[in-house]
Amino acid sequence: MIALVRALGIRTLDRLASLGDASMMWVIAMFGLPRRGDFALLVRQIYHVGVLSLVIIVLSAFSIGAVIALQFYTQLSRFGAEDAVGLGLALVLLRELGPVVTALLFAGRAGSEITAEIGLMKSTEQLSSMEMMGVDPLHRIVAPRLWAGLLCMPLLAAIFNVVAIYGGSVVAVQWLGSDPGSFWAGMQDAVELWEDVGKGSIKSVVFAVVVTWIAVYQGYDTVPTAEGIGLATTRTVVMSSVMVLALDFLLTLGMYGDFK
Amino acid sequence: MRMRTIEISVGAFVLAGILAVVVLVVKVSGVSLSGSADAHLLKAEFPDVAGLRVRAKVSMAGVTIGRVSQIDVDPEYGVAIVTMEINDRIWPLPQDTGARILTEGLLGARYVALTPGADTEMLKEGDFITDTQGALVLENLIGDFITRLGGS
Amino acid sequence: MRPFCHSGSAALPDDAFIEIHDLHFSRGDRKIFDGLSMCIPRGRITGIMGPSGTGKTTLLKIIGGQVRPDAGQVIVDGKDVCRLSRDELFELRKDIGMLFQSSALFTDLTVYENVAFPLRVHTELPEDSIRDLVLMKLNAVGLRGARDLYPSELSGGMARRVALARAIALDPTLLMYDEPFTGQDPISMGVLVTLIKNLNRALRTTAVVVSHDIHETSSIADKLYIISDGRVIGKGSPEELKQAESAWVQQFMHGSPDGPVPFHYPADDLKFDVLGGSTR
Repeated sequence: MIALVRALGIRTLDRLASLGDASMMWVIAMFGLPRRGDFALLVRQIYHVGVLSLVIIVLSAFSIGAVIALQFYTQLSRFGAEDAVGLGLALVLLRELGPVVTALLFAGRAGSEITAEIGLMKSTEQLSSMEMMGVDPLHRIVAPRLWAGLLCMPLLAAIFNVVAIYGGSVVAVQWLGSDPGSFWAGMQDAVELWEDVGKGSIKSVVFAVVVTWIAVYQGYDTVPTAEGIGLATTRTVVMSSVMVLALDFLLTLGMYGDFK
Repeated sequence: MRMRTIEISVGAFVLAGILAVVVLVVKVSGVSLSGSADAHLLKAEFPDVAGLRVRAKVSMAGVTIGRVSQIDVDPEYGVAIVTMEINDRIWPLPQDTGARILTEGLLGARYVALTPGADTEMLKEGDFITDTQGALVLENLIGDFITRLGGS
Repeated sequence: MRPFCHSGSAALPDDAFIEIHDLHFSRGDRKIFDGLSMCIPRGRITGIMGPSGTGKTTLLKIIGGQVRPDAGQVIVDGKDVCRLSRDELFELRKDIGMLFQSSALFTDLTVYENVAFPLRVHTELPEDSIRDLVLMKLNAVGLRGARDLYPSELSGGMARRVALARAIALDPTLLMYDEPFTGQDPISMGVLVTLIKNLNRALRTTAVVVSHDIHETSSIADKLYIISDGRVIGKGSPEELKQAESAWVQQFMHGSPDGPVPFHYPADDLKFDVLGGSTR
């Protein structure tokens, strides 16, 4: 029994130590002064992290928007309220699905790439040799990726929302025959700038910080073997997904919790 | 990959992202680009505003002419005071304009519907609309109906 | 008063470039260095040898200031490495070139950009000057023609040579080689050995070679250290060590399979295992 408590205690301390380590890494990387050539590094990372994620984001967005519109229409027509498809779709996407699904897809695609890349650099001693030449890898490797993630994910979420709404409109209006006037007007009436778009964007930014942070730290901290990199990549995706969903719950409670 | 191609695609991506945000702000949430500087305030007292929210639309003959900007309660008389911003285009309104709280469709949101009167005197900034009718609350209607059934 | 390495032999004491006094370092529960002391002479090639896992790479990292020891002093060219500020450490690293075991070239940069990297970090030289320097360094290792290739397109031996060109980009006073001979074919090995020797003579650098390849290291080193269990157990010139008294050193130098480091992993007597039968 004592042994169990002791083991738990050690694990907790280990986790705390990791968290502390990760926090220091994050702070040092994010708040280092910019230097010549940093912008080029950032641009390159935005390409890898953002541009290359576009395909999966756009395809998923269109499908999800279409499916949700379909499901909503089916249910709402039971009450004769098909006109609410537009606003239901928009609200669900802006408040929840846009930020959350984008974050999950991002973690799987860009997050795992970042972890694998940094882990590989660690195992081939590139990080060490950089340090030996007097270049701080936190500045050159970690920081551009953190900033790129922070920038790209909210943008990707916005693109997701737009494409999903469009996909939904294609299904609802073109296919199922919902009235385009009420689809769009209902949406415009019900969607509020701060309540829906604004708060959804905040969620997106929070997720961006968390997912990128996890991805970078897992790569930085990995055991520098092929096996270690594989484990780290998996851990990135799992941990990011869990954190995004948990944070979404808390944020939703906090933002919309006043259920009158 | 050539640096130039990367730069171009990054620029396009960021542009697309910003455009998406703009689309969401303008088209989806319906924020109008014309400022609310040319809006006039009107108030109205209602016995019950059940379900009416701030930013609900104010319409006349089905056309949106303004927004509800504030909802307060007067504890002394137990009435709700609704403040509305009315578009300059249909200002001023006659003093006997009527205000009712209606529901959009069956499950829709509440909104304020104004019916213009024929008075030659006009409402001034901040005036109260006197001809008001509160929101129809479903439970009260059913209660009424059941009472009447029981009575006959 | 300049420090000297007392070699214990009749030869004149060499000017010391790196002095390590009573170094202690542990990783977790494992004690890696237990009172290690060394003296690495200026301008010579010093080999550091020992069985795998004795922390030879860690020693190089400690000398370069990447890892902090638990106790002891490490003095490089008169500077106590552990006491240096960030800026001073940055300056010191300008003068140190390190060749890693895996060549550690930056995979997202071309050969040219890899060699130019330290120049860009530490100097404000214009592009023309950088170009000239990079091409000269690449020429010294015979790979000027490969300048636009990416590391993934190079063979192992070529990658090491590029890494060497990068290590000498700033004309450092100290060159450290981490297992340079491991896994090389005879030709690449020969090329590398020649380069290390020639560079040392031409640039008058101090070179530290960490390796467990006795033959090659002995052929180029002026002085050898043998480390085991966190301490020095043998030091001297290759010839001296080959005739050393310690049985352990003898086993190491001659590569004998059995001796103080036993051949057999501890186990019961063979007859018990084979005839004892069904218990396992």
